[in-house]
Amino acid sequence: MKEAIQIIKDGDTISFGGNVLHRAPMAAVREIARQNKKSLKVVKTAGAQDIDLLCSMDCIESVDAGFVSYETKYGLANHYRKGVQTGKIKGNEHACYTVICALRGAAMNVPFMPVKGLNAGDLLVKNDYFVVVEDPFSGEPITLVKSLVPDVAIIHVHECDEKGNAIIYGPKFEDVLISRAANKVIITTEQIVPESKTKLNADRIDIPGFLVHSVVHVPKGAAPASCYKKYEIDDKSITSFIKMESKDEIKMYLKDYESRDYIGERMGRAL
Amino acid sequence: MRNKEYRVSDIMTCCISNMLQDNETVFHGVSSHLPMVAMKLAKSMHAPELVHLNIPGGVNPSSIKNASYSSAGADLLGTAEAYFPLEEVFDLSMRGKLDVAFLGGIQFDINGNVNASVIGDYHKPKVRLPGGAGSAVLIPTAKKAIIWRVKHDKRTFVEQVDFTTTRGNLWKIVTPLCVFEFRKGKLYLESIHPTSSFEEVRDNTGFELLYDEIKFTPEPTEQELVMLKKIDPYDYRSIEF
Repeated sequence: MKEAIQIIKDGDTISFGGNVLHRAPMAAVREIARQNKKSLKVVKTAGAQDIDLLCSMDCIESVDAGFVSYETKYGLANHYRKGVQTGKIKGNEHACYTVICALRGAAMNVPFMPVKGLNAGDLLVKNDYFVVVEDPFSGEPITLVKSLVPDVAIIHVHECDEKGNAIIYGPKFEDVLISRAANKVIITTEQIVPESKTKLNADRIDIPGFLVHSVVHVPKGAAPASCYKKYEIDDKSITSFIKMESKDEIKMYLKDYESRDYIGERMGRAL
Repeated sequence: MRNKEYRVSDIMTCCISNMLQDNETVFHGVSSHLPMVAMKLAKSMHAPELVHLNIPGGVNPSSIKNASYSSAGADLLGTAEAYFPLEEVFDLSMRGKLDVAFLGGIQFDINGNVNASVIGDYHKPKVRLPGGAGSAVLIPTAKKAIIWRVKHDKRTFVEQVDFTTTRGNLWKIVTPLCVFEFRKGKLYLESIHPTSSFEEVRDNTGFELLYDEIKFTPEPTEQELVMLKKIDPYDYRSIEF
């Protein structure tokens, strides 16, 4: 884990898999915070504790997202909110779809994508990543969204072989897309399976190993977020995190997870 | 004899359910328990062929009973009949084939402007809100956009929004007090809930009430209330209250 996260440099653009409280790569997010990365630019359609935790530890410079909040029961992402309000963090508000289009642009290596729908409201007036131009074919106005190329994508999956051939069960959210858009992909996985097993399901591989830079074995690597059919959210952990205000408390919280976040590697060495 | 054993959350759920028609494709997003229950109610009552779309991509989940803390969780796929991920739901709306989208918002004004972004200046906000999620692209492209909001006060229905996340093409706004309809570029008071009154709506709305006639929202029927208990036994429809 330590080694995998070390490829992230201060100032990098990072994209996380999952959606709000579901299958976010939280063990990797905690390691980013422990390694005290700075000025990261985060890209995600809808984030929750992943973004909030990194904001609380001052790792983030900007967030490109359509939605940053916990769901109804847990309230707003207060570290993110305060960071934007005090001007420490730039909150680049997208519609979730414009994040998807910006990543599609990255996957195709084009500088922008035309996007429909964003013709009402002031998001395109106030932000410089949207531009309205004339469609050269029809002459009609069309909005362009600037492509967003993640330096690193971090995706938590259910199973993966040592080459990085990875399978996600249940909702994939934007994970397959971000694996194609990013320059480097880090996979954290519930389970490392033998290549002979992934070969039997070659048509079910969501992320092929040749795109993957490193694989980290972390059982419960999405916790306290949920992981489809493996575990539900850890209500106690999220509730206690939301109440934390000082960096010292959050450092303790990170410390508390440390041995769990490295458990997969210890298991690997024991084999 | 009318059943008085219902709450505002029941009225809102039933009233939204009755806006949905059979065979429509309908999408709800994150933090959307009340519309999720309303969609399930419509499917169970008058719109069996309604197509339920959501963020995890589960088409027509057969049960929503386990979606306790999240309306974007995997349960909605675990019991579904097909997988249709979020990016394709957006594409569907862009092609003009999404009939109804449910969206939120924090402030609204009489001209149909919706704010889900900030209170105060956009670049130096007093309060940074969660963001409009898909609303800035879905409100303009879905055939009908329904907004629900469990607060109805003068900070929510304001003379002018602080920031326009999106505008226009709204269809209805459902609140704990009433239903507004957006037509001819303005919000009109469509019906007042039987648990409220014209005076209460007026006193809690920051703009002038436009209306053709004063109507009341129908009370939930006995059958609707029975069905609600069955499909939503843990009362997720009231989570936001």
